[in-house]
Amino acid sequence: MKKKVLSVLLAGTMALSMVACGGSTSTTETPAADASEETAAETTEETTEAAEATEEADATEAADTAVAEGAIRLLNGKPEINDQLKELAELYKSETGNEVVIETIGGDTSAGDELKKMKQADNMPDIFVIEANQADTWDGLLADLSGEEWTDKTGFELVNDTMGTIGFPYTVEATALGYNADILKAAGVDPSTLTSPAAWQEACETLDAKKDELGFTAVFGWCAEPTNLGWSSGTHVFGQYLDAGLKADDTTYIDLLNDGGQIDEARMKSFAEFIGMMNKYSDPALLVDGTYDNQVAGFKEGKYVFITQGNWCVTSPDDVNFECGFAPYAFEDGINTIIAGPPSYWVAYSEGNVDAAKAFFNWCAGDSAQDILVNKAGLVSPFDDCQYEAVNPFYKSMKSYIDAGNYSGWHTMLKKDGLQNETCQVFADYAKGSIADADEFVSKISKVIKGYYAE
Amino acid sequence: MKTPSATKKAMSLICLIAGLGLLTWSLYLDFTKSEATYRGATLIVGVIGIVLGLYFFPTLKHHRTIINILFLFPLLFAFAVTVIIPLFLGIGYSFTDWDGIRVRNAVGFDNYTSMFTQPSFLWSIFLTFLFVVCNMIMVNLVAFLLALLCTSKIKGLGFFRAAYFLPNLIGGIVLGYIWQFIFSNVVTELFKTDYSMLADTNTAFLAVIIVYIWQYAGYIMLIYITGLNTIPGDVLEASAIDGATPMQTLFSIKIPMIAPTITICTFLTLTSAFKQFDVNLALTNGKGSVEILDQYLTNGTEMLALNIYNTAVIKDNYALGEAKAVLFFIILACVSILQVRISNKREVEL
Repeated sequence: MKKKVLSVLLAGTMALSMVACGGSTSTTETPAADASEETAAETTEETTEAAEATEEADATEAADTAVAEGAIRLLNGKPEINDQLKELAELYKSETGNEVVIETIGGDTSAGDELKKMKQADNMPDIFVIEANQADTWDGLLADLSGEEWTDKTGFELVNDTMGTIGFPYTVEATALGYNADILKAAGVDPSTLTSPAAWQEACETLDAKKDELGFTAVFGWCAEPTNLGWSSGTHVFGQYLDAGLKADDTTYIDLLNDGGQIDEARMKSFAEFIGMMNKYSDPALLVDGTYDNQVAGFKEGKYVFITQGNWCVTSPDDVNFECGFAPYAFEDGINTIIAGPPSYWVAYSEGNVDAAKAFFNWCAGDSAQDILVNKAGLVSPFDDCQYEAVNPFYKSMKSYIDAGNYSGWHTMLKKDGLQNETCQVFADYAKGSIADADEFVSKISKVIKGYYAE
Repeated sequence: MKTPSATKKAMSLICLIAGLGLLTWSLYLDFTKSEATYRGATLIVGVIGIVLGLYFFPTLKHHRTIINILFLFPLLFAFAVTVIIPLFLGIGYSFTDWDGIRVRNAVGFDNYTSMFTQPSFLWSIFLTFLFVVCNMIMVNLVAFLLALLCTSKIKGLGFFRAAYFLPNLIGGIVLGYIWQFIFSNVVTELFKTDYSMLADTNTAFLAVIIVYIWQYAGYIMLIYITGLNTIPGDVLEASAIDGATPMQTLFSIKIPMIAPTITICTFLTLTSAFKQFDVNLALTNGKGSVEILDQYLTNGTEMLALNIYNTAVIKDNYALGEAKAVLFFIILACVSILQVRISNKREVEL
């Protein structure tokens, strides 16, 4: 009997404590606390792989913000502008009284994958980031934004055949061969003449001969390391094969590629020869097993004349003490374009708060928001009426190409998801020398692409 | 014991009915996506009601069973939610074209047939088996030698044991990045090579094996040390008196005496090598090129677990990833069953 009393007592305490806990949360749980708790949980989960600073900012932010009802959530994929977006959200609140909660995913975590988890957990943000080729996976779940005010001010919105205008461009990014104008000037090379393979070859020879005299390490800061930098070679550099020299809406080579993985062999061969030249004049310490950090640091220190990245690698004028610009990957005569456009977009989830999202987009295209996005976050505005000159050191060069209409699209984002992980290995083998020449490069990359599309 | 009283009976019934009602109500609120904040509390109170109702249930015959079930329930529930249900869901998804968001069609065995037409997947399977065999031998050999060292009479024994075990405490991802740095900055300097051994498929695979041994040998060593310590001192003494050389002692006494330990360690390394993921991901991310059967594969060092992850997450083919995971499960289950069978048999023999 004693035992029984004891067990009943124990069970009773257990039950009581459960009721007490449950009770206390249910009574003190206002919607605000609820939401902020939720965000706190999410942010800690999501940003584990993002920068540490970001994480801390998130945690504190989430802890001291009580989110009002009707607040919308924005899932950002760029950890480097997390703080600026928070600032943007504060300004939005003070100007309109509406709230936007910024959640950031980035670094090694792919936003696309995280979003799928959120979808399964019925925890979708109202606005999130996608890349162009992910639109089809979200088929029917994205709101049509056509007719919104901001769409008249830009040509960069994402349009989908079935869902209409779905993507809000929050930035324009450009990629080509970034150069250090000061070294080029000292060496007597005019970057505007670099529009043919012959001109490039000549420029490389001139520069290479003067590298001791001018004190730089190599002509190209080009890194084909596949494990961590596969996105650079597999998506961005490969994108030049797809788009270089084409008008922004020309989809010839991406269409060919997406039709079962075909390539134009002649074009690929010229491209391969160009890459071969880059391999030859690159810093051997960087080429095969370098890192992004080394690559960018080397360019900033003036060790390399050219860098195979885009305007994101140098965002502040304080980073460099020389003038920056872009030169085209002129692997065929007359190629004079850089790739420019939004690599990713903000979209509104159709089952979320679409009206609030639309209002936020319209506000973001306006003056006060652009001030933060351009001047503080260092982004390049996709809007025609934006009065702010981007601080990005590459901006002047970018703008000259865009104004002249010499820019191609980011069609590399439309290739089959994951292809970059396959092709980057071919670039790496070529850099290492285990692929001997351009012909072999063409045959190998064509095999790899065909194989991947056949999967 | 007396028969249950009428009040008890009534109380039990009331608790049960009220609990069930509240539970259903809260679940209804959940499925209709209600914004009501009292939903969670209702659920908890409902569950407590059911528990109390069952506890006071007026039966003598089944009382003990009910109590057992009640106390086992939290564990079983957690096990079901985290293991059993996902397992069956996963098997279900593998027969569809699930893309991580929705299921559009059921595709039957398409995923299972298509995964065997992927040369890269077949390569991953082959590579995993190669890795397992290499590791099973190497890890055990290294660990056994370390254990011999750590049971001998050298100075600083505690330090050595701790030092060998330490790598096992570092997470695989961190370890991968540390070694990536070592391979591309230290090893290249030491051996004056042009580029990191991670850049070449064969040497990169070797690198994964080295790092894995470095990580896992310390753990297996501890088990061997325990095994070696259980050898009765009188046997060793007797052999010493009979004039056995250290070699003879090792091969004729120590190794036969720790045979069960060897079995355990072999299977431990076997299953864990099969599941290799984190070091593989951080160190090479499966990169490397292989030219085989007129195919140019770019996943030279990608093992099975990483292949599954990449298929689902990177290549955005969740259903195919699930199908591969099911195959992976079957392989691992077979290995584990074999392990249990063999260990049991051995124990009987000894």
